[in-house]
Amino acid sequence: MSHSLLPDPASRISIRNLSKFYKDFLALDRISLDIARGEKIVVLGPSGSGKSTLIRCLNRIEPHDSGVLMIDGKIIDGKTDLTELRGTVGMVFQNYNLFPHLSAVDNCTLAPRLVRGTAREAADAAARRYLEQVGIAEQADKYPIQLSGGQQQRVAIARALCMNPEIILFDEPTAALDPEAISGIVSIMDDLAAQEITTVCVTHEMGFARRIADRIVFMDRGAILEVAPPEDFFTSPKTDRARNFLDRMIRY
Amino acid sequence: MSPGSRGLSVLLCLLFTLTGLVLHHPAARADETPGFIQDGQLTLCTNPTLPPMTFVNGSDTTALAGMDIDLARLLAARWHATFVPDTMDFEGMFPSLAARRCGMVISGVLRQSGREKNYDAVPYADSALVVVARAGAPKLTAMTDLSGKTIATQSGTSYAARIEKENDTLRAEGRTPIIVQQYPTEDQVVQQVLIGRVNAFISQDVELYYRQKQLGGKVSIIFKPDYPDYRQFAIYIRKNAEDRVQLQRAIDDLTSGGEIAGLEKKWGVSGEHEQVFSEKNAPARFDFATFFSALTSVAFLKGAALTLTIAVLSHMMAIVISIPIAMRLNGPDSPLKFILSAYVAVFRGAPTLLQLLFIWNALPQFLPFFREHWFTPFLATWLSLSINESAYQVEINRAALRAVDPGQRLAADALGMKSAQVYRHVIFPQALRIALPPTINEFISLLKTTSLASVISLQELLAVTQIQVARTFEFTEYYSAALIYYLAMVFFFLYLQKRIERRFAWADRNKASANVA
Ligand SMILES: Nc1ncnc2c1ncn2[C@@H]1O[C@H](COP(=O)(O)OP(=O)(O)OP(=O)(O)O)[C@@H](O)[C@H]1O
Ligand SMILES: [Mg+2]
Repeated sequence: MSHSLLPDPASRISIRNLSKFYKDFLALDRISLDIARGEKIVVLGPSGSGKSTLIRCLNRIEPHDSGVLMIDGKIIDGKTDLTELRGTVGMVFQNYNLFPHLSAVDNCTLAPRLVRGTAREAADAAARRYLEQVGIAEQADKYPIQLSGGQQQRVAIARALCMNPEIILFDEPTAALDPEAISGIVSIMDDLAAQEITTVCVTHEMGFARRIADRIVFMDRGAILEVAPPEDFFTSPKTDRARNFLDRMIRY
Repeated sequence: MSPGSRGLSVLLCLLFTLTGLVLHHPAARADETPGFIQDGQLTLCTNPTLPPMTFVNGSDTTALAGMDIDLARLLAARWHATFVPDTMDFEGMFPSLAARRCGMVISGVLRQSGREKNYDAVPYADSALVVVARAGAPKLTAMTDLSGKTIATQSGTSYAARIEKENDTLRAEGRTPIIVQQYPTEDQVVQQVLIGRVNAFISQDVELYYRQKQLGGKVSIIFKPDYPDYRQFAIYIRKNAEDRVQLQRAIDDLTSGGEIAGLEKKWGVSGEHEQVFSEKNAPARFDFATFFSALTSVAFLKGAALTLTIAVLSHMMAIVISIPIAMRLNGPDSPLKFILSAYVAVFRGAPTLLQLLFIWNALPQFLPFFREHWFTPFLATWLSLSINESAYQVEINRAALRAVDPGQRLAADALGMKSAQVYRHVIFPQALRIALPPTINEFISLLKTTSLASVISLQELLAVTQIQVARTFEFTEYYSAALIYYLAMVFFFLYLQKRIERRFAWADRNKASANVA
């Protein structure tokens, strides 16, 4: 892969030689990547390859140790205003991580009210609009415990959307869902793309990856080995490790 | 003002000045204020459960009465001092005297050589030790007749040590020793004989005479051993030869002036009462009138209010202290964490009673600051129970905070919430649900633990009850009234817990549904 040494301010996200250590363990090894506005990136790779670590660096839930991370032309480092960064970069988790003590709509309004100071009525209206967009308007007043996995993941997406992010990071959003629920999430992600929201999604579902990705990023042992459109990646992977990975994924 | 009256006022001024000079003249030195009078106050340490010497004569627990109290008043008057009684458990009196919390102890305490090693004693009344058993029990000819029998005494008194000497004799003769049970109050000692748990109890004659109304016909004196250490009641002060001389002179004056004899007559502290004592009186069963009057008395209400207040304040303080400690202890290792672990271990390990006694009696020895008047039994109790309770509450909070899924924090962080907001709106509400039941449990246990504070003279519910029982001997009625108060308070908090738990419907699928519907 050829990247200039300097990050590209025109990209939504531009990463150069990003490294991350957990104590002595090198979890990310000189990652470089440019992601365009509205692009849908899927990160693939074997377990422990550093996929979660990479996307957690993007909203600085995990601070990186070296290299450059630039979002919308701004360098992200120790001096960055985290509240602002996380307003720009939303995140959705594998286990949803909804706040169990708040109803679906309150899950969505908590951060806008606390972080943005939005009035309750306005936050409420926006939350209901997003819950409608993800197709669960009628569940708005239920507690998470009363919702199915798929419904909870939709609430989690609506919650991220309520902060009006330009980027949403997904860490295995479908891992705990059945196929029908997965297809629901797929159409929501199409919607996001239509709204020019950039998505970076870690997944183990090859079908899902193929269906939503503009580009596939393949990682192993903390490094990016391939970046390619899904057609190319799935039909003709360039590296042995990607080939082995795909063989194993298809066999099981 | 007329010229005449002006002349008069000039004269008066002169007169006052002269009087002032005379009063400050060294000639008045003989009656200089002794060391046990401080700041114009005579503070008396007394345990008011020993009628007729010192007790509460009525349902107002602050109104002390008895020969000792009257005597203290006379002494205060002699040195123009204000009389300030400070009531506490028997065990608390001498440590308080040593800690300068009071100037003297007058509390039906016998003059004994052992005590005189550390304190000066001035005797003021005669007494005799008596062995008392249930009416009809055979008389004894010697203390050793009690071999193998069980007797009750009040703890903190020296009776047990005296019996131990008898036991040495018994053991030397190869006989079974006397078994001694000790109880914190005199009324409990008597009760053991009445219910037949022990064969006899040991007391002073004067006390028995006073008890004739309650005990007449139920018990009788079976022996009067003539122990040298049990013949006189004495006033105790901190060791000081000059003070002692002054106090002795005061008692001598009161004796020759007939005041002491008057007090003995007033409180029935003389032998002529022994006859009356053995007359029969009809014993009463449960007296509902007493029970209801106790239940509705101001004394009980105040005692219960104090119990509740100290428990609520202590627990609130404990929660405030324990949350940051719990958060630290759940965090990464640091020297501070080590110190906090030690804090928790020490205060969970040490008995609560010991902590109370330590803060009240030992702390002032290191830090004179805590000897001052602002440091009341209430503050001392609040301080020790807060610290003690916080150690337990830390563990509850730690477990509750750990039980909150770390993903919650992650999700809140990812939404850009500040750390304080994350705790306030995400972690604490969930931790509260987990912490609430054990916290209420702890509170209920704390509510009952407050009764320990009677040792440092806090007039909480149980102290009030015991003072009333000591006065009337109506155990069942007063204990029942106290029980009702404790149960009412506990049930209220259990109800409160139920009410709060309703707000946690979110954690239960079925209840949550019911809420939405
Ligand atoms: N907080 C942490 N402390 C220490 N090591 C960590 C930490 N988080 C992740 N690691 C290690 O970093 C490596 C990458 O972890 P990461 O979670 O990014 O993998 P992943 O590709 O997301 O795997 P999976 O597909 O199983 O989710 C792993 O070897 C993991 O053990
Ligand atoms: Mg992962």
